[in-house]
Amino acid sequence: MGLSRELSVGLSMGLSLRSVGPVHHADCKLIPWAYQGAVLSEYARSRGLALDVWAEQAKVRPGEVMSTRQFLALLAPLQRSAKDSAFVLGQMALPGHYGLASQALQQAQNLGEALQLLARYAARLSPLLTPRLLEQEHETIVVWTDACGLPGAQRAFVVDMQMSAVTAMAQWLGGARLPWRYSFNRTRPADISQHASYLSGTLDFDCHVDAMRIPRTLASHPWRGGAASARLMTLQALEQGADTQASQRGLLAALYDFFLPRVAGNPSLDDAALAFGVSAATLKRYLAQHGTSFQAELDQVRAHVALYWLGLKGQPNELVARELGFGDVANFRRSFKRWTGQTPSALAHLASRFAPVV
Amino acid sequence: MRIPFVDTPLFHFTQAPVLRLQHFGHAMLLLMAGVLWLFGQGGAIKPVAQWQWIDIVGEGGMALMLGVWLTQVRASRPAGVVTNWLCLGLATMVLGAWVDWMDEFWALPKTVVWDNWMESTLTPAGIALLTWGLHLWRQEQLVLNEQLRQRERVFREHRSMDGVTQLGDASYMAQQLELERRATRPGALVMLGFDGFDAVLREHGLAQAEHMLQCAGQLLLLNLPHNALLCRYGADRFVVLMPDCAEGHARVVAADLQRALSSFVFHTNPGGARVQLPVAVAACGTESPDTPHETMLRLLVRLWA
Repeated sequence: MGLSRELSVGLSMGLSLRSVGPVHHADCKLIPWAYQGAVLSEYARSRGLALDVWAEQAKVRPGEVMSTRQFLALLAPLQRSAKDSAFVLGQMALPGHYGLASQALQQAQNLGEALQLLARYAARLSPLLTPRLLEQEHETIVVWTDACGLPGAQRAFVVDMQMSAVTAMAQWLGGARLPWRYSFNRTRPADISQHASYLSGTLDFDCHVDAMRIPRTLASHPWRGGAASARLMTLQALEQGADTQASQRGLLAALYDFFLPRVAGNPSLDDAALAFGVSAATLKRYLAQHGTSFQAELDQVRAHVALYWLGLKGQPNELVARELGFGDVANFRRSFKRWTGQTPSALAHLASRFAPVV
Repeated sequence: MRIPFVDTPLFHFTQAPVLRLQHFGHAMLLLMAGVLWLFGQGGAIKPVAQWQWIDIVGEGGMALMLGVWLTQVRASRPAGVVTNWLCLGLATMVLGAWVDWMDEFWALPKTVVWDNWMESTLTPAGIALLTWGLHLWRQEQLVLNEQLRQRERVFREHRSMDGVTQLGDASYMAQQLELERRATRPGALVMLGFDGFDAVLREHGLAQAEHMLQCAGQLLLLNLPHNALLCRYGADRFVVLMPDCAEGHARVVAADLQRALSSFVFHTNPGGARVQLPVAVAACGTESPDTPHETMLRLLVRLWA
């Protein structure tokens, strides 16, 4: 089974060769104040922030529906307010009270189902980072990818927040601390006391992806959940579009979805623009507004695919080069070095960790 | 009390009253305007050609900086005797510098003596008042140090302070552990934490969960040996450093702390629910080839085992 098949678990419907499902941009009004806004204001109040000043600085009127850009602007002062703000906010975030999607999480039968809901209804449950599930033989991996443009200064904060959210949710709904294994795409900070006390399991820094891994047997361990019929009704309501925004994809997540099955064919900007139903110039402008470029996003997906084959599957360079559409191995090796700062062979013997730098 | 958001404009600071006068700053401005009026009445303005620019910048800068100091002191101190003396001293010096500065712009006839008199008395008087204030401040600090004894030792580092419990954080403890190791004497490190604390946040909300942590911190402080240091490691994990303490004694103290914390009942308000949680504890010696952060990390892992 190829990576694109594995990663497609939990992707939004309507992902086909020609069209892309509903997409939200960084400025789309997506997040009702009563959902994530209420969580942030409870935290801001506990930190002694003046709510009106805080909201005004983020250019948000309390009560209105927010864009992800406004959500990030609200988060920025909270990030500075305490060392553990990401983790405390994360603990408060899931399953949350974000309508049907939260209700479905609450009724999930096990962690595996909860993670699938999280990936599928990311716009509601995790609007800044889109989780992707990788089902391996023995473990389930959650890879966090950008939904619609995270500024560099906020990325680590949001990643910590989402990892803390999933960890705390699994502990709360499953009733047990789980032996997660966390990979962080950043250098190891001198003080990891907050990560160590709020997350549960092993922490690996200096990795090339932000990911969480859990043994599959634990992902299928039954939760208390809820009545089976109620659960079914919630899932059907979501399925039938009772909350249409919930299954939207962030622009960058949608682009990732588009690249994944086509990564060997070296997709062009024009191909992507056609699929997104806009002109190439418009797509280029959209990506610039999200702080990125077409090539940067494509390279990221190719790097992830290469890391998957090399780091997780232990495949030889030749096969990976072919999978990514490279004519020869030397060319692949050069590109890989450019994406990750490392040669493929340096990774090969580190298959047990999800592609960390030595 | 929270650590203020020093680096954000959300940080509003208020000025402490001096001699119970909330409008002390305005009174100062009024006095300065009065001095200006006196100069205007008695003297003539000097032509620009006679202005000594170096003196104008130097003396003006002095008055300005003294004014900034006065504002800083009022913003950072509670009202009281010490603040009164410090502010009166600084205010008198500001007036002295102001008279000095006015002198640069106004020519007074030789018969006028009040300006010389003000120049030569205000600044020394201000220095005397400030000195007395500083003396009282030192005495106040000795009292405060005694109160803070179990929260900080040897040095103060406000950036390593936890805003919720007002205890030091993991970095502060790491620095202290490093100091303790350099002293090459046996010491002990104890870590404590609640089992299932996340339920408090879920069931009673963030404010109640944090209040419970504050109370737990206070309770631990009451149960600590005299020279021990308590810090908040992270989440609901507390860490205690006991300098000059044999391992056997450390284990006894650890058991005492565990007993104290596990019999602690927190009453939520509003709600009035009783919250009592089991407590896990782990202890080790301070001597180790690991870094202080690694040592604490190993204690944390043992807490969950």
